[in-house]
Amino acid sequence: MKLLQLSPSELRTRLQESGIWLRTGPFSLRIRSRIPHVAEGLAELYGQFETRHAHETFADFHVEVNAPGVLRRWLRPQVDFSFDGQLPFKPLPYDQAYPMLEWGLNWCVSMHAHQYLIIHAAVIEKNGGAAILPAPPGSGKSTLTAALALSGWRLLSDELALIDRKSGLIHPLPRPISLKNQSIPLIRAFSRDAFINRPSHDTTKGTVAHMRPPTESVRRQHEPARPAWVIFPRWSAGSATTLAPRSRAQTFMFLVQNAFNYSHLGADGFQVGTRLIDEVRCYDFAYSRLDEAIEAFDRLAARAPDGEA
Amino acid sequence: MRYRLKEYDAEAVAFDTASGDTHYLAPLALTLYRLYRDRPGLSRDEARTLAARYHDVEWDPSLDAQVDETLEGLCRIGLLQPE
Repeated sequence: MKLLQLSPSELRTRLQESGIWLRTGPFSLRIRSRIPHVAEGLAELYGQFETRHAHETFADFHVEVNAPGVLRRWLRPQVDFSFDGQLPFKPLPYDQAYPMLEWGLNWCVSMHAHQYLIIHAAVIEKNGGAAILPAPPGSGKSTLTAALALSGWRLLSDELALIDRKSGLIHPLPRPISLKNQSIPLIRAFSRDAFINRPSHDTTKGTVAHMRPPTESVRRQHEPARPAWVIFPRWSAGSATTLAPRSRAQTFMFLVQNAFNYSHLGADGFQVGTRLIDEVRCYDFAYSRLDEAIEAFDRLAARAPDGEA
Repeated sequence: MRYRLKEYDAEAVAFDTASGDTHYLAPLALTLYRLYRDRPGLSRDEARTLAARYHDVEWDPSLDAQVDETLEGLCRIGLLQPE
C-alpha cells in the first residue's frame, strides 16, 4: 500500500509505536517519531511511496527523530536523530525536526551503501540519458533540479548519485528536493504543480523546505538509468545560457573529491569513476533564467539514446 | 603495477594502489610521463626539448623550470623513478 492510504491518525500511531516502513529507491527505512512535524512532512511528501507494517518487514535503516530528555525539552526544545540507537549528530532546534530527518537519511545512505560509488550530486533523466549535476552550494543545483523535475525530466536524486559498481547504471533515490532561501518562492512561482512543505527557519543552511518528488519519478524509482552527461550548473544573475565542454580528467577529479565513499572503495572506486567518465559528455553550464535552462537541457535530451534526433 | 592510469586526451588521472591517492596529470605532466615510460634513461635536456616540441612551444627558461618542477612532482608521487 501507499503511505497516502494511511489516515493521519494511523500514520501518527504507527510512527509513535512500531514505526513507519518506507521503500525509497533501493533502500527500506523504518522511521519512528512522536513529533507532529515529522508526521506532517511524511504525509505531505512521501504519500506516493510504498509502505508496509514495520514489524513484519526487514529495513535497511532504523531511524528515530525525537525530543531528548524531559528537562532539555522544556528548557530549549530540541530534536535528536538516532540511527540504530546511536546519535551521529548534535541535537537541533525542535522546529528543524523534519529537515533533520531528511539530512539524517542522506547520512545513512552515504555512510553505508558501499555497493555504490556515491557522489554528492543531483541526477535527472530524460529519453534514457541521465544527467549528473554535481555542484558546490550556491550554484543553483537544487533549484535547477526542481525546475527540471517539474518540466518532464525524471528525478533520480537531489543529493546522492548512486553509481552501481557492477553495471555503472545510476539507481534512483527520488526523495524530496531540499530547497533553500530564495529558491522556495522561486519554485513556488515556477509551477503550480510544485508542492513545498512548511519551511524551517534559521537552520545552518538558512530557511529550508522540501519539494514533493513527482509521482512519475516515484513510480519509476526501481528503474536505473544510463549516465549520459555530467553537467556543472552555475547560476549567476544576468548570465547568458551557455553549455561549454569541460575537461574529462578534471571532471573525474571533482567527482571523486565530492564522492562520499571513493577512498573507501580503493581501486574499484577508480575503475567505477573512470568508466563513468568514459560513458558521459562533460559540460559547464551557466544560466540565469530557468526557462532557458530547461530548453537547453531539452535540446541535449533530444540527442539522448531514446531521443528523436 | 603500482599505478593505474587513465588518459583523457591530453590529460590523465592516476590511482596509486599503494597509498590510495588519486592524482590529476596536466598535459605537460602526461607528456613527461609518456616520454620517460617510452624512453627510459632519457636525459633531462632531451626531455625538455621533446616536451617543447610536443607542445609546439618555443624554448625559454620558464619552460625549463616548469619541466623540472613537473618531473620532481612525478618522482615525488612515485609515478617516475628519480634519475
